[in-house]
Amino acid sequence: MLDQSELIRYNRQLIIPDFGEEGQNKLKNAHAIIIGIGGLGCSSATYLTAVGVGHITIVDFDTVELPDLNRQILYWQEDIGEKKVIVAQKKLSKLNPLVQITPVFTKVTEENVLSIIKGAQVVLDGTDNVATRLIVNSACVKLKTPYIYGGVSRLRGMLTTIIPGKTPCLACFHPEGAGGLGVLGVTPAIIANLQALEAIKLLIGHSPALAGKLLLFNGDDMKFQVYDIKRNESCPVCSPTLPR
Amino acid sequence: MKAVIMPGFSELIIVVNPTQEVTREGMLSIVMPWLYAPWPHAREKGIIETEIDGDTLRALLAELSTRYKVANVDFQPINPTTNDLDFDYDVLVNGKNYVALAHGLDTKLKDGDEVKLKMLWRWDG
Repeated sequence: MLDQSELIRYNRQLIIPDFGEEGQNKLKNAHAIIIGIGGLGCSSATYLTAVGVGHITIVDFDTVELPDLNRQILYWQEDIGEKKVIVAQKKLSKLNPLVQITPVFTKVTEENVLSIIKGAQVVLDGTDNVATRLIVNSACVKLKTPYIYGGVSRLRGMLTTIIPGKTPCLACFHPEGAGGLGVLGVTPAIIANLQALEAIKLLIGHSPALAGKLLLFNGDDMKFQVYDIKRNESCPVCSPTLPR
Repeated sequence: MKAVIMPGFSELIIVVNPTQEVTREGMLSIVMPWLYAPWPHAREKGIIETEIDGDTLRALLAELSTRYKVANVDFQPINPTTNDLDFDYDVLVNGKNYVALAHGLDTKLKDGDEVKLKMLWRWDG
């Protein structure tokens, strides 16, 4: 049940057909995890908090540095040197005190990933490297937890929603590509807000639009393209023929 | 030149003026469906045969870009601003990255050369 303050706070989304109090209650009882609270994670965390996802765990092992401030909007000049997850928790809690924000100051590894992710209904990608993404991807496949991949460079971004057992996983593609190519601040915000939208739809029981599809964003010419993608029958992580 | 194209999962493998029969042996049967967009009839066989004007790597990539554009697919390996390979792609000729070739994208392709055009993913955050 929503109380009076929640009915007022969430009024603009409660009046959306097919969302309503039922949808809001589902969000209130949901648990989302954001791995990496940088350019992507700051934006997705902000909107998931504002929309009222009941419990959000944010995971990162970094501290705030000056070059983060062009895009990591939860951090300000005064936060330099502080742990990102602690700063983010404080600000997100001020945005919406009804949401439980759990900060986890750690580096995600093969050893700890299952214990971090276990119990969440959805995992959002906020990392900045392929190795961590593949670790998270494998864990999500194992736990059958939806995983929303997002990645950016410069003015370009990509996004897909991985539903284990149904859609391709990240390892299906033997993905290649370099990091550290530079990021314009608004690019991760665009991709992360689409990740947040996919997460919200998943959590309220609507079909995520990008399950089995790859969205490509090109900010150079402001193009969005969406392509169907198929599972790799030989995927080392999610192939249905793998022994379980 | 004749180009025999085999779409993979995140790449195109292109054999120029093949000197022997080209097969998909060793390649996955499932690929990104949109890679066939300009040649939907070739989807069942998995092998596209087409003619390309010009004889350089650049001509090949430019022609592919044009064909995909007609099919409404955003596929532009040569960045029109830099006139160099766009950072969404990487290209190898016979396993050698194009930047290591003496003439880069203007390298003339020989009969039997295998070009691998890889689409790269985004990893920054």
